[in-house]
Parts: sequence; C-alpha cells; structure tokens
Amino acid sequence: MIRTIVVDDEQPARELLREFLAAHEDVEIVAECANGFEAVKAAGQHEPDLMLLDIQMPKLDGFEVLSLLDRAPIVVFVTAYDEYAIRAFEVHALDYLLKPVSEERLARVLDRVREQLARPVPPSTGGLAAALRAKPLQRIVVKDDDGSIHVVPIGKVDFVEAADDTIVIATAGNRLRKQQPIGELAGDLDPTRFVRIHRSYLLNIDRLERVELYAKDSRVAILRDGSRLPVSRSGYARLRELL
Amino acid sequence: MSTGRAIPFFTVAIVTVAALAASTALLWRDDVALTSVLATGALPSLLLGFMTFAARYLCRAMPLRTTGWGRLLVTHGATATIASTLWIAAWTAAAAGVDTGDAWRPLFILGLLLYLGAVMVHYLMLEVELAREAEEAALRYRVLAREAELRAFKAQVDPHFLFNSLNAVASLCGSRPHDAREMAQKLAEFYRLILRLGSMERITLAEEIDLVTRYLAIEKVRFGDRLTTNIAVDDGAAECLVPPLLLQPLVENAVRHGIASVVEGGAVDIVASLHDGKLRISIDNPADPDRLDAKGEGVGLQNAAGRLRAVSDGKASVHAAEDDGRFHVAIELPR
Repeated sequence: MIRTIVVDDEQPARELLREFLAAHEDVEIVAECANGFEAVKAAGQHEPDLMLLDIQMPKLDGFEVLSLLDRAPIVVFVTAYDEYAIRAFEVHALDYLLKPVSEERLARVLDRVREQLARPVPPSTGGLAAALRAKPLQRIVVKDDDGSIHVVPIGKVDFVEAADDTIVIATAGNRLRKQQPIGELAGDLDPTRFVRIHRSYLLNIDRLERVELYAKDSRVAILRDGSRLPVSRSGYARLRELL
Repeated sequence: MSTGRAIPFFTVAIVTVAALAASTALLWRDDVALTSVLATGALPSLLLGFMTFAARYLCRAMPLRTTGWGRLLVTHGATATIASTLWIAAWTAAAAGVDTGDAWRPLFILGLLLYLGAVMVHYLMLEVELAREAEEAALRYRVLAREAELRAFKAQVDPHFLFNSLNAVASLCGSRPHDAREMAQKLAEFYRLILRLGSMERITLAEEIDLVTRYLAIEKVRFGDRLTTNIAVDDGAAECLVPPLLLQPLVENAVRHGIASVVEGGAVDIVASLHDGKLRISIDNPADPDRLDAKGEGVGLQNAAGRLRAVSDGKASVHAAEDDGRFHVAIELPR
C-alpha cells in the first residue's frame, strides 16, 4: 500500500484528490491536513510513503513543511502556480500537479511513485532541506523536540550562535535551537543584512549599536539590547565592508 | 480654423486696396477723372494682391525654422522684384494713353513693400498655425497618456483565482454535482460582469459591491468557514459613481494575502458611507504579519491608488495600514 498524506488548505481541493485516489486500490490515505502544521505532525506520526502537498498555505508553505520533515516521503506538489514547477524539482519533489488537477495526470504521477518505491534503495533526501530554501530566506522554521513549530521572520532574528552542530537563533526574549550548520544558514540569508562576525556568530546588522576594541586584535560587538558578541578579525573586516 | 483660412483672402484684399489707393494717389491729377484712374489701377492692383497670395505657398515651402537666411532673402527678394515688375508692367499696359511720368519708381517700391509685407504676414500666420497644432498635439497626447495610464491600472483578476476555482468545480462534480453547476454559473457571471463593468467609465458603488459580493461568494466555496464577510453600504454611498473594478483588486488582496495567510481565517469587512460630501470606503481583514509575500502584494493597492488619482485629478486618496494582525485600506473620494 502507498501510505499517503493529502495536504491542502482548501477542503474541495482535498476532496478532489481523495476522490481521484480512491480509484487506485494500492493507495491509502492515512491523513488529510488543512495546513502545514498538521502536515508536519501527521508526517511524524504516520511516516507516509507519499505526500501530496499544496504549496500556498497559511503560516507554513509547502516548501517549509518539507524542510521540517525528519524523514521526507516522496513529495508531489499540487499547485495552481506553474511558476513553482522548477522550484519543485529543485527540492527533489518527484513531480507536481497543476490545479485544476487532471485525473490522468495523477494516475501517471502515481505510476512514477510506484516505480520509485519499487527501487531497492529509496531516493535520498539528503541535501533536500538545503536545496529547497528560497533565497534569501524570509523566514526560519524550527521544530522543537516536543514537535511544536516556530516560524521566525528574518527581521525578528537578533543573532545566530553556533553550538556544536546546532545553531541557536536569538530573538527578543527567546532562544530557538535548530539542527543546522551555521555556514549553511549564513549562505541562505541576505548577505546585506546578516554578517558572519565570528566563526560562531551571525549578526543582524540592524541590531548593532557599536563595535569596541576589547584587546589587541580582538573586538566586541555591542547590540542595541546590550548583548555583547565576539568579533573576529575577518568578521570585523566583513562588517566594515558592509557598513 | 475658419478665420485661419480667411486670413490669406484678407491679405489679398488689403494688398489690392493698398496698391490701388497708393497708385491712385500717385497718378490722380486734376485733368484726369478719378474713376478712370481707379479703373486703370484696379486690375494691376488685383494682380499684385494675387501674387502675394502665391507668396503664401512659397512661405509654406520655406519654413522660417528650417530655411537659411540667405536663401530666404534671395528667394523672397527675387520674387518680390518679379512681382513688383509685373505690377508695374501691368500698370503701364493698363494706363496706355495716360502719362505715368516718373510714377513707376515709387510704384515699384510700393509693390516691393506690399509683397514683402504680405510675406511677413504669411510667416506670422504659419507660426501661429504651428503653435496651435503643437498645442493640439500636446492635448491629444495628454488624453492618450491618461487612457494608457487607466489601461495600465485596470484591475486584473488573478488568473490563479480561476485555476483554483475550476479545481473546486472539479471537486464538487464528484460529491455535489448541483453545487458544481452553481459554482460554474457563478464563475461565468463573475467574469461576464468583470468584462461589462471594466469597459465602462464610471459605475455606481452598488454595482461594484455586487461584483465583489459575487467574488467573495466564489471564494467562500474554496475557503469554507475560514472566510466570512460583512458588507455595510449606506444608501447614499451606494449611488455614488466610482471607476469600475476599484474595490475588486483590493478585496482580492484581502482574501489572497489576508484570509489565506491565516490558519483559522476571519472576516473581510467592507464599509462605505458618505461624510461631508465625500465617499469613504474601508476594507478590513486579518493578515499574518509574517506572511511570505508581503512585499509583492502592493501592486493591487498601487493600481487602485493610481486609477483613483487619474480619474479624480488628485482629489481622491488611498491609505493602507497594518497593525495587530489586521490589514486596513481606506479610500476617500469626492462624490
């Protein structure tokens, strides 16, 4: 059986997919989700083989949902916007369906899904998360250990600190931990807004108050809220270049 | 235009009369009857008059702005000499038997001056004509520019609205065929209305509200309980004339970027009323402040503002504000 999750914020759109899928005896719908949060949760619970994923949804869009999945199923995007098609392939989606959805097209897509599942080695999802982020990033999505999801608009990030293989995203009065190398995040952010001031620190330059000399060749950035962050020599050079 | 066309004939008449008067003054002596002098001078004077008329075509062929001074002087000098010589010759021929004495000298100079004066009048007229044409062209251009501006600002329904709605129709076909037919009908009516209203100069606010009500009814099928609407329009406001499709793109924004960005949805509130002779319309809806496409949605707003400016000569205003998870657009326009 192809265990499938259908994600769309419009009920009639889910209904149509359900009706079309009913014709395929080897497809079982294990969950129907009306938004991205439900989708991430359901994917964790059901570990589906296939996800039919709408892109335009409130709070978390389809790409963000995909980035939050620990174990990505085969993904087929369903959207009215064909300009997403190229991006869908960039994120290694198996295929995409345009609305209004055609029954025959869905059948062909399912054939590809069956082929994919029949392969001895399931498709690698490595690098998926990195590839799918729209650049520059507008929001960072984080999933807590308890499964709750945080959406942080870039403008609210004060700085990002690296700690081993995780990063800590600092916003006003909150710290969010995420499993991601700091260099990867730095590459996704707008380089005119975020500066790598130190090997372990990414700073939102809007938050910078001033830079002080701390010791010979060593400086400290003082933020508007009073926080102090180390600035390396090359970090200082990058900062000066930007300012 | 009629005075413009009449001027060359005035010139001919004036030159003829002036030539006749001057030559009569020169030649009339006590021993000759005035009538016979006039009769003798009439034809040569008329000839000179018509030659100045011909000068008009020469002036047209050699516009002041593009012709060199040398060429102007030589050409007009030569034609003036020819014209004046002909006029003297005509005089002499006509006055056979009358002693013209040395009168030909002042007559020749008179002919020259009259011809050259007529040339100057023609150039003056041509300049006036050119200035008026330029003014007309500028006016035509302004009208065209205004039309282009309005066309550019013309509201366009987001095509994805159609794709999504057709997807909903396809869905309803399976479970609720009756509703599917109704939805197809609603879509057709909506687009028909867009075509009809969009081609008009002004429509009543009531018609515009009817259009957005139909739009919202279609979106309601897709969004279900996530979309509710409250529309309150005063009787006086409903009769006001507005540019067509003024509210449609704004209400579309309210759904596409507002309701669609909020998980639980909410209400789109539209209120229109008259205050001190001004029509005030407000559109209010919930919107996620962290939505992804916040930047791209200004287009509908800019278009509405631009169209309002274009049709109201700057007397109307559009203001947008966002706070506390709600998006608010306020329009004010003179009645």
